[in-house]
Amino acid sequence: MPGAGICGCCGALRPRYKRLVDNIFPVDSEDGLVKANMEKLTFYALSAPEKLDRIGAYLSERLSRDVARHRYGYVCIAMEALDQLLMACHSQSINLFVESFLKMVAKLLESEKPDLQILGTNSFVKFANIEEDTPSYHRSYDFFVSRFSEMCHSSHDDPEIRTRIRMAGIRGLQGVVRKTVNDELQANIWEPQHMDKIVPSLLYNLQHTEEAESRSPSPLQTTEKEKESPTELAERCLRELLGRAAYGNVKNAIKPVLIHLDNHSLWEPKIFAIICFKIIMYSIQPQHSHLVIQQLIGHLDANSKSAAVVRAGIVEVVSEAAGIAASGSIGPTVLEVFNTLLKQLQLSIDYELTGSYDSKINIGTKIIKEQEERMFQEAVIKTIGSFANSLPTYNKTEVMLFIMSKVPHPTLQHNLETGRLRDIRKRLIQMMLLKSLLQVTIGFQCRNMLTALPTSFLDPLLSAALMEDAEIRLFILEILLSLIDRHGNRHKFSTIRLIDDISVLNLKVDKCSREDTLFMKKHSQQLYRHIYLSCNEPTNIHPHYEALYGMLATISIELANEEVVVDLIRLVLAVQDLALNNEDNLSVYNRCALYALSAAYLNLISQLTTLPAFCQHINEVIEVRQKKASYLLPEEVFVEKPRVSKDVDNLEMEVVFLQSKISEVLGGSGYNSDRLNTPYVPQLTDEDRLSKRKSIGDTISLQIEVESRNSPEREERAPAEEITFETLKKAIVDSVAVEEQERERRRQVVEKFQKAPFEEIAAHCGARATLLQSKLNQIFEITIRPPPSPSGTITAAYGQTQHHSIPVYEMKFPDLCVY
Amino acid sequence: MSMEDYDFLFKIVLIGNAGVGKTCLVRRFTQGLFPPGQGATIGVDFMIKTVEIKGEKVKLQIWDTAGQERFRSITQSYYRSANALILTYDISCEESFRCLPEWLREIEQYANSKVITVLVGNKIDLAEKREVSQQRAEEFAETQNMYYLETSAKESDNVEKLFLDLARRLISEARQNTLANSAASPLPGEGKSIGYLNCCNFN
Repeated sequence: MPGAGICGCCGALRPRYKRLVDNIFPVDSEDGLVKANMEKLTFYALSAPEKLDRIGAYLSERLSRDVARHRYGYVCIAMEALDQLLMACHSQSINLFVESFLKMVAKLLESEKPDLQILGTNSFVKFANIEEDTPSYHRSYDFFVSRFSEMCHSSHDDPEIRTRIRMAGIRGLQGVVRKTVNDELQANIWEPQHMDKIVPSLLYNLQHTEEAESRSPSPLQTTEKEKESPTELAERCLRELLGRAAYGNVKNAIKPVLIHLDNHSLWEPKIFAIICFKIIMYSIQPQHSHLVIQQLIGHLDANSKSAAVVRAGIVEVVSEAAGIAASGSIGPTVLEVFNTLLKQLQLSIDYELTGSYDSKINIGTKIIKEQEERMFQEAVIKTIGSFANSLPTYNKTEVMLFIMSKVPHPTLQHNLETGRLRDIRKRLIQMMLLKSLLQVTIGFQCRNMLTALPTSFLDPLLSAALMEDAEIRLFILEILLSLIDRHGNRHKFSTIRLIDDISVLNLKVDKCSREDTLFMKKHSQQLYRHIYLSCNEPTNIHPHYEALYGMLATISIELANEEVVVDLIRLVLAVQDLALNNEDNLSVYNRCALYALSAAYLNLISQLTTLPAFCQHINEVIEVRQKKASYLLPEEVFVEKPRVSKDVDNLEMEVVFLQSKISEVLGGSGYNSDRLNTPYVPQLTDEDRLSKRKSIGDTISLQIEVESRNSPEREERAPAEEITFETLKKAIVDSVAVEEQERERRRQVVEKFQKAPFEEIAAHCGARATLLQSKLNQIFEITIRPPPSPSGTITAAYGQTQHHSIPVYEMKFPDLCVY
Repeated sequence: MSMEDYDFLFKIVLIGNAGVGKTCLVRRFTQGLFPPGQGATIGVDFMIKTVEIKGEKVKLQIWDTAGQERFRSITQSYYRSANALILTYDISCEESFRCLPEWLREIEQYANSKVITVLVGNKIDLAEKREVSQQRAEEFAETQNMYYLETSAKESDNVEKLFLDLARRLISEARQNTLANSAASPLPGEGKSIGYLNCCNFN
């Protein structure tokens, strides 16, 4: 109508572009765009690109007028024309045109009519998909971001229209992102002011799935895109957004997510939070995924005083996210992550114990629920596990070391803190950290034990300080087990029983590698010692024995060479002796359990060595036991109600595995029977000497072994020699200076020592030194006056003994004597 | 040649506790109606109204925000680009008045430093239930250097006045700025971008 109206005399005076534009509008808006005239306009625009901006301006002027006059038919036609012009003009000149185009879109978006809003959005999306090669200096998308975000939150009364507006909003945001993300000159879409609008709008739609189902397909446009729900669309848009995020932008994009989850308290049911972060982790560029985790961890830190459920939710999300993060993508701040997690764990323990978030001010504003804290702790531990599992091996070792270094060692500050609460706290922290460690070790498949388990890790783990508590002891055994087991064999030994034929276990065995041999050379004594001492604990219960059995079995399978097998047999025989001699007054149950443990293990190892003679001996003993003393067999001991009330003190020799017998059969098959003949003596460490666990009984038994070890003619020496100061003095002189008359014996000893591993020699010497010390202590305690002529070595130490300041004395002495 | 249909464009953002009547104020002003059963706003709402002041067309872009805490993050992101903020409370609700300092802190934190803030006590039709006296509110507004007005969206009291006064104030502010920024700055309405603030160089 307007175009036709001016067609009179003055029509010719109008500029050509205006006439061409007018002509595309039909008389009746129902007729739609005049196609032929539109082609003319397009041709004109292409041939005279300098006129494009004027065409655009004029079109937009008309459109504004039509909007104001509610002539929506013409509005649609104008937009269609604009779209076509845009599509046609892929040239540089598009820049001139875009300005008026965007003005028109803005005009439509300002309208209250949902149809116009959607129309405007659709045009904008079309425009967004055009790739411009020339950057534009003066375009602002602020309004679009604001308006599209607002549309995403539409609360229109009609659910169908609401959905359409929301979807239009999402697509609009997608368009803005596409348009601006690669354009350096654009107002940076990644600025917080934009991200704070875009991200929550997308999340809001992602979160509200309920309307999606009830929606009937729109009658106007049923394109593919129109059919999907706002949720799906929002998800796609979020993925696209994150996929484009560069290193520096990730933070700005993730922060609104965290704030949104906070504000809408979505950490608690956590399903949505997990979905969110799954989307994020899968869509973000893999090299940036560690940033997400870092930010989550930071958020956890910031929330350390929030309710446990919130923290648990965050931690759970971290756990999920860490699982997705590709292993190579873990950033340089691995330890920082673990540090925070462990810190949170300790904080939570404190909260649980004190019942308050702030130890200083005890206002009961927030009641701490123990149960929730526990859940949080479990979640943290789980997260530590899943995070560690996404790390490469060398990182895992690092993490293990790190966690280990955090485990408090009671002996170090034994005198400083004695409060009951402190003790409980320390124990809880130990437990939690060891649990975390266990999580880390599960699924840890190290090739090289030597690098995976450095001394700095094994030493504290095997330290005696962690052995006193039964539960902690079990954890340590479990940790060792899962570290040593590399072929998934451990569950095959989860119950102690006598296996008639080990082939049913279907064991996976690799040949012991060179590294493994080296590892065993270096650390075997430590492991044996740990097993030995663990066996001797009176607080052991069924799971402990199972773990010990598992340990022995997995070592035999994973790390055994001939030497190790011999050592293990020696070790187990020594364990049997523990039960037999009963120097530490173990309970009947403990003793039966040790008998049963050795029986089960010897049965296993005899079959592993596949030596018929060995198997036969073991079987014989077991058969005798079955007849006469079935309470010494695992089938009887490791049941719910073990029958252990039998007398275990006066056993006949037939029910006991004999060292001599075994060494005979093994020696016959080429095993080192010399070595087998010598009984196992646990290697002692400085810590042992310091700790109070070393009883006199221990010392005496060691002494016997030491003495018999040193003398080839065993019978000549009385096993329980009277210890007097003279003998002690002699012994000291033995170890310090050279004595002429003993030279011959020494030569023999040296010869023998050459065969034994260094650790064992050290153990012997150490044991001897310890013996001396304890005997000296005893003597000093009894005789008030010191003996007149102590040797030079002791003089220095002796003065201190009277004051009972043991540490310096005891630490110095063995060093001098042992090495 | 200007094809813009306005001389000035201002962004106004309404903030305040949930249920104080922000949406009703906007509706009353832009559409002239009072929706009785207005539900809680989700996120943000958007309205446009062009008014004429002394022969100049002023387009007001009004962003109505949700008062609910859970939408705080998205609403905050709208403060930044606002030319004016209308801080609303309910005169029949002491709590909404007591929250004002908190809102002022938010403004300080997120809004432009040159933003004009108006304090509005809404629902004066509920005079018998009044909990916050006019004097008290006026004093408070004075200490915070804000304009103060009492309105009723239901009775349409002072609603027009609120927005028109605000528009006038924004115009004079914009003029001052234009003068201060010398003649080089573009004239109102001949801005470069579609967005906002092309007339009053606040930024």
